[in-house]
Amino acid sequence: MDDRGTAGSLPAGGGRRRGQGELEAQVLSVLRTAPGPVTAAWVQKHLPGALAYTTVMTILSRLRAKNAVTRQRDGRSFAWEATADQAGLAALRMRRVLDGERDREAVLTSFVTSLSREDEQVLRELLDHANVDHADVDHADVDHADDGPAE
Amino acid sequence: MGLFVFLPLVLPLTAWPIARLAEQHLHPRTATRLLSGVGALLALCSTLCLALIMVVGTAQLPGNPLPDSWSDPEVREAVPYDGVAGRAAIPALAAVAVAAGHTLLRHRRVRRRAERALEGLPPSSVVVLPDEAPYAYALPGGRGPTRGRVVASAGMLARLDSRERRALFAHERAHLAAGHHRHLLAARLAARVNPFLRPLDTAVVYCAERWADEEAAGAIGSRRVMARAVGKAAMASRGAPSAAPTGFATGPVPRRVAALLGPVPPARTWPPAFTAAGVALWTAAAGAAASALSSANSAVALFLVLKAATPL
Repeated sequence: MDDRGTAGSLPAGGGRRRGQGELEAQVLSVLRTAPGPVTAAWVQKHLPGALAYTTVMTILSRLRAKNAVTRQRDGRSFAWEATADQAGLAALRMRRVLDGERDREAVLTSFVTSLSREDEQVLRELLDHANVDHADVDHADVDHADDGPAE
Repeated sequence: MGLFVFLPLVLPLTAWPIARLAEQHLHPRTATRLLSGVGALLALCSTLCLALIMVVGTAQLPGNPLPDSWSDPEVREAVPYDGVAGRAAIPALAAVAVAAGHTLLRHRRVRRRAERALEGLPPSSVVVLPDEAPYAYALPGGRGPTRGRVVASAGMLARLDSRERRALFAHERAHLAAGHHRHLLAARLAARVNPFLRPLDTAVVYCAERWADEEAAGAIGSRRVMARAVGKAAMASRGAPSAAPTGFATGPVPRRVAALLGPVPPARTWPPAFTAAGVALWTAAAGAAASALSSANSAVALFLVLKAATPL
């Protein structure tokens, strides 16, 4: 379930070694082509390459932990269904990275950082000011309204 | 030699005024490069200094693996208070190694996890994720068409108009094109290695953002739209209460917006010596040079002393 240190822990069921994220995406896309809730065996049959059943189950459980699939009891096994698409899965995974890593600034240069209450006030005034200015010049010359005050 | 062997350890204190001056008076591009370079150099020098002090200071301790002759009085004379300094240098060096290793590992881990999160998506330089939470990132690395990706959430894009979106993408692309993550990593490592360098790290983070802001403003042809994009994005992401203590100096986002609404920063790379900017640059250069020279001097002197003491 923890995708920090367990990168290599998948059973080596499928010949070529694939990344864990890639496998998750593949299982999810197969699941999305299913006519309805299907069993893990169905997923295994429709996956490219020969993945072990346990691998498929592992990946399905991981996807479930990320809320990308749901399962319901169907007789003696589970029937699985996709709730997210590939982009949705990527979004879920990315959120976990963003929420889980405090010190990520040096890698992922965020567009903006957090604001304190004072910052928010200052920013609001700056933007209001800019918008008023902008409205004034909009009538005159839109293209050159952006060069800032002449110095 | 005397007390000046300790100089590289305390010279990074000059980082504080340098960071302040460079941040305010230099073009963000110059400031980012200067500050991260100076930070890396000062950090290297202070680590080298620590290592040499440790070697000299611990050579006379029983059971150490160093040659016996290194504990000769002539060698120990090279470092004042060699016993105390040497013993203190051991935990200090260990802390430096742990801190640097930890930072590097974390860097790799965040990068790998972020890359893995995007696995299975079509290879493209821009990724829009269906997420209500507003965020946008530049993710460096990778190969081919996914070499450096911009990741933005649909929630973030929904809060911006089309020109502001272009501003956001231009900003993140500027980060990737200039390889800002390297400057940021260098500054972060330097701050971990010598805590006196922490102001440089904060300043480099801010200057890299300003640099990307200016690049992007140039690319989209409007500093005002850039300012609005930064402001609106920050307002959108303010959900979580910030940990910044109240009454603290104005944070980086309002300063970026104010800078974008103000005049274009002069593109000159080396301002005249008798302006504040010139003073900043010269102080930085002098501090770094003094530190480097002093470290080199200590290193050479200690090396010669140790060599003379080693029976061949």
